[in-house]
Amino acid sequence: MLKRPTSGTPPDAWGNAPMSDVELPVEAGGSTTRSEPWLERVTGWIAIFGGLLALAVALLATTSVLMRWLFNAPIDGDFEFVKMATAVAVFAYLPYTQARRGNIMVDTFTGWLPERLRNLLDGFWDLAYAALMGYVAYCLIHGSLDAIKSGETTMQRQLVIWPSIALSTALCIVLALTSILTAVRIATRRRGDAS
Amino acid sequence: MSGLSVALLGFAIMLALMVLRAPIGFAMFLVGAVGYAYLSSPVALFGYMKTNAYHQFANYTLSVIPLFILMGALAERAGIAKALFKAAERALGGFRGGLAMAVIGACTAFGAICGSSVATTATFGRAALPELLKYKYDGGFATGTIAVGGTLGILIPPSVILVVYAITTEQNIAKLFQAALIPGLLAALFYCITIAIVVRRNPSLAPDAGAVVVDAAPQPWWPKVIGGLALAAVATQVVRGQLAWDNAAVFALLALLFMFVSADIMPAIMIAVVVVGGIYGGVFTPTEGAAVGAIAMLVVGIAQRSLGWSDIVAAIKQTAETSGMIFIILLGAEVFGAFLALSRLPSTAADWIGAAGYSPYIVLIAMLSFYILLGAVMDELAMILLTLPVFFPVIQALEFGGLTPDEVAIWFGILVLIVVGIGLTAPPIGMNVFVISSVAKGVPITATYRGVLPFLVADVIRLGLCVAFPALSLWLVRALN
Repeated sequence: MLKRPTSGTPPDAWGNAPMSDVELPVEAGGSTTRSEPWLERVTGWIAIFGGLLALAVALLATTSVLMRWLFNAPIDGDFEFVKMATAVAVFAYLPYTQARRGNIMVDTFTGWLPERLRNLLDGFWDLAYAALMGYVAYCLIHGSLDAIKSGETTMQRQLVIWPSIALSTALCIVLALTSILTAVRIATRRRGDAS
Repeated sequence: MSGLSVALLGFAIMLALMVLRAPIGFAMFLVGAVGYAYLSSPVALFGYMKTNAYHQFANYTLSVIPLFILMGALAERAGIAKALFKAAERALGGFRGGLAMAVIGACTAFGAICGSSVATTATFGRAALPELLKYKYDGGFATGTIAVGGTLGILIPPSVILVVYAITTEQNIAKLFQAALIPGLLAALFYCITIAIVVRRNPSLAPDAGAVVVDAAPQPWWPKVIGGLALAAVATQVVRGQLAWDNAAVFALLALLFMFVSADIMPAIMIAVVVVGGIYGGVFTPTEGAAVGAIAMLVVGIAQRSLGWSDIVAAIKQTAETSGMIFIILLGAEVFGAFLALSRLPSTAADWIGAAGYSPYIVLIAMLSFYILLGAVMDELAMILLTLPVFFPVIQALEFGGLTPDEVAIWFGILVLIVVGIGLTAPPIGMNVFVISSVAKGVPITATYRGVLPFLVADVIRLGLCVAFPALSLWLVRALN
């Protein structure tokens, strides 16, 4: 069974208990409005920052399209802003996805295990994920330093590229930390705990 | 160990990790990274990883995904689905099974705004299901129809799955969107025919024709006058040679919509036509189209007072979680794909299948059947990302009666999309069925699966038609390019 485990089993928008065998994906809505534990709130604000950044470049791209269409004068190199902002926005989304444990996993073969054991397994994978993302962040730090040293810029507008790499790196570190916290939370969860 | 055996071992370990509850994107990333370091060196992996994660996300083509998701999330909250369903109800409600057909019709229109089937299913579960149950539609028939209608979210462009396919196989997103239109509309038509047949054979599923009372508000006269004037203006400009015919066609279409589409669904239809039409016509790139769509949806929602600050925040958070989930899988698939490329498994497999001399259609049907089976236990997005690095070179190496490799790539993408749609509704694990079941507490999940079954027959027939007649997918692409 495909499942996106969350840190609790919240009631849906109608106040009904969720189905026992599957957690409703977030695209189905509803669950994002409940009151959230602090980790979700903090990472949620980071995600909102990313979303507003994405909206800002969407507005820029829309303006560029309109200017090109109406006056044949698009905003030069707008796609370079879109690229950089998307990277930062996605990195800003990832800690929130992890805090809500929104990453897809397969639940078909381990559903019969005792809940305690499943929680330990999930906690273990969260730690492994933290280690992997720590490695990615370590590599990205070196990537950022390279970009600072070389002063690499974009082709069209000569935008300096390192700030967006550095910001992505910082957010990747936040992701690794978030993952450690979710690991601790789920591994120490007792049967019947709400969150 | 040879590269090939390392790749096969990698696949085995990755599947083992997934069985042991490792998140799918993480499992692909980890095995890909270790395999990459083994086949080259840890230093090479470090060099690759220094910028890979950033550049993978700072990708102009990929940026279309979070923007389309945002557009759909805003549409979901702006009350558009309800308006579309009401309009379709006015048109079709009088027939036996008309409300079920109205669901399909409204999902088709919503699918042109939303690129996700799960979101479409959940939205219509709220917007349409109460109405169907009120008019004594059979529960399983109603939920089954909505679960199937939800797949139109990805079958009708824009479609997140198609974008992922396009990026993985380095194909043109706009062309794939063009190719998806006719098969998508065919799906809607087949679903409506299925409904007509099912309610004829079992009249207890739906109320008698005429039982549904539709409030037919009189249409105001002034949009027809203004639209008519606009049409006349466009015609004069074309005659005087001031306006190119392609621009004129767009203006004429918009004027016609203004004349005949009722006011409550006008913004939704206009946004869909502008976004999809603009991408088709090459007026803007898919990323620009998604940006325009998201901003337009935001403006319409705020202007209609259906989107408040809390709705926008909720839409952003939903976009964040969904995009985060997708991008981790994309990143994992990228690293895993780099590992596979080092191992030369994909090209070896392509050579091997080519040398074995199987009929191309046998290989194609085997792959599609494999997808249907695998889709029963696995997430569809992860499934295509995992298999495409191997399947796609094989398909590209085969000859399909005079199609160019690019055409085969586009056609195969549409076939994969249809199979993914089937996987989303077919037992034992259909994500859409789970979603609608969690909305409809009173309907047992087995009843929903029973309701879905006749539509699956229609799906298989449509898949067969699209396999047999590549022109269904390729005609529009050829006509527009």
